[in-house]
Amino acid sequence: MLDTEPLAQPKQQVGTARARTSFVRQVLVVAFKDLRAELRTKEAINASFGFALVILLLFSFAFDPFQETTREISGGLLWIVFAFAGTLVLNRSFARELPNDCLDALIAAPLSGAALFLGKALANYVLVLAVELVSLPVFGIFYNVRWASQFPELFLVMLLGTWALTIIGTIFSALTVNIKLREVMLPMLTYPILVPALMASMRLTTTLVTGAPIDADSMAWLKVLTGFDIIFTAVSLVLVETVLVG
Amino acid sequence: MRERRRTHQVKSTMRDLLHHALESAGPAALLAAVTALAASVLFLRLRNFLYDALALAVTEAGLLLLAVGIAAGVVATRLASGAWWTWNPRLTAGLVCWLLYAAYLMLRHAVEEPTQRATVAAVVSIFAFFDLPIVFIAIQWWCARHPQPPGGPPSGWNGLWSWPLPVMVLAGAALTLVRFRREQHRRELDAQRREAHAL
Repeated sequence: MLDTEPLAQPKQQVGTARARTSFVRQVLVVAFKDLRAELRTKEAINASFGFALVILLLFSFAFDPFQETTREISGGLLWIVFAFAGTLVLNRSFARELPNDCLDALIAAPLSGAALFLGKALANYVLVLAVELVSLPVFGIFYNVRWASQFPELFLVMLLGTWALTIIGTIFSALTVNIKLREVMLPMLTYPILVPALMASMRLTTTLVTGAPIDADSMAWLKVLTGFDIIFTAVSLVLVETVLVG
Repeated sequence: MRERRRTHQVKSTMRDLLHHALESAGPAALLAAVTALAASVLFLRLRNFLYDALALAVTEAGLLLLAVGIAAGVVATRLASGAWWTWNPRLTAGLVCWLLYAAYLMLRHAVEEPTQRATVAAVVSIFAFFDLPIVFIAIQWWCARHPQPPGGPPSGWNGLWSWPLPVMVLAGAALTLVRFRREQHRRELDAQRREAHAL
């Protein structure tokens, strides 16, 4: 007396659901899941922002904030703050999935590795960008720097530079998630690779924040940053399945 | 008077040698990086641990050559201008590349399980290689903004085709071979130990 209809239905639903869920939707589902989880507890954002404030404070003890030379290096200082504070957020992105075997569940889900990776990268991007945007006024106050004068260009540099930081941080977070010295290895791996992107971002930010004119040099640095983003997004997407599954 | 001339000759020969070591270590290390990339990609494709051992051996040999090159650069800079370090493109790029592949080695030590170690190391090696051209370009532009102290290559330097480069490459190949054989032996011992434990 077993009715096979209910058994057939779920299978049919799963089949069509899998066909209907496009790549973009998968990415957005993962991204919103991560953002929702983070915004409920706000652990990583608070820690990251607190850390950014502390580093800004320490740098203002190291360099005299009222000297002209400090204004010259302000772009560099800002990106060091962003890189260090961002690593706190990025470290947690895959490590958060370790308890209760959530990571195994995610990898086993009918989700392509690239969708999982891009979803997490997107969530991390939004979080790190939020921390950066909140740190920017503090930076302006401490160092007496007029960051709002060329804000659209500065925002573009922040978008590109943060994507570089996020993409490298997320792929290496996935790589080091099962390693015992995870918190130590992540900075050691990501910062040397990020050197060109950070260099370009620092140069561009210093140019924009000190009000120097945007010349061919700046366009060259912008090309370096964009090239870095494109190349490493492509390499990460190609290698993500190997990284996640082994 | 003659002694002063001899000391001057010795000093200039030493300076030339240091410059040669510095100039040829870079391309030799680059060759090592290309070999490491090829070995890593082959490992990920074929899953043969031979390529993993080759990648490790070539990276270690390349790091050693690059370290020698950087040390030679530091001493050459000191002799030429009195400062220990100069932010010229070669030295700076050499240092950044050294740190990239040193992170590769550190990662290998942090992972114990052999398959996971080899996979993770291969991925890092591929990332490091793709970073190299961007690092070179960025540091070239960065250093072009600052005036360089004197201390370029000495006269009689024919670029890549003079004798130090093949010598460096051969030395690197010999080091790689030695390290590769040692790695193979170590893996054999490891496998035997695991068998013993299992039994």
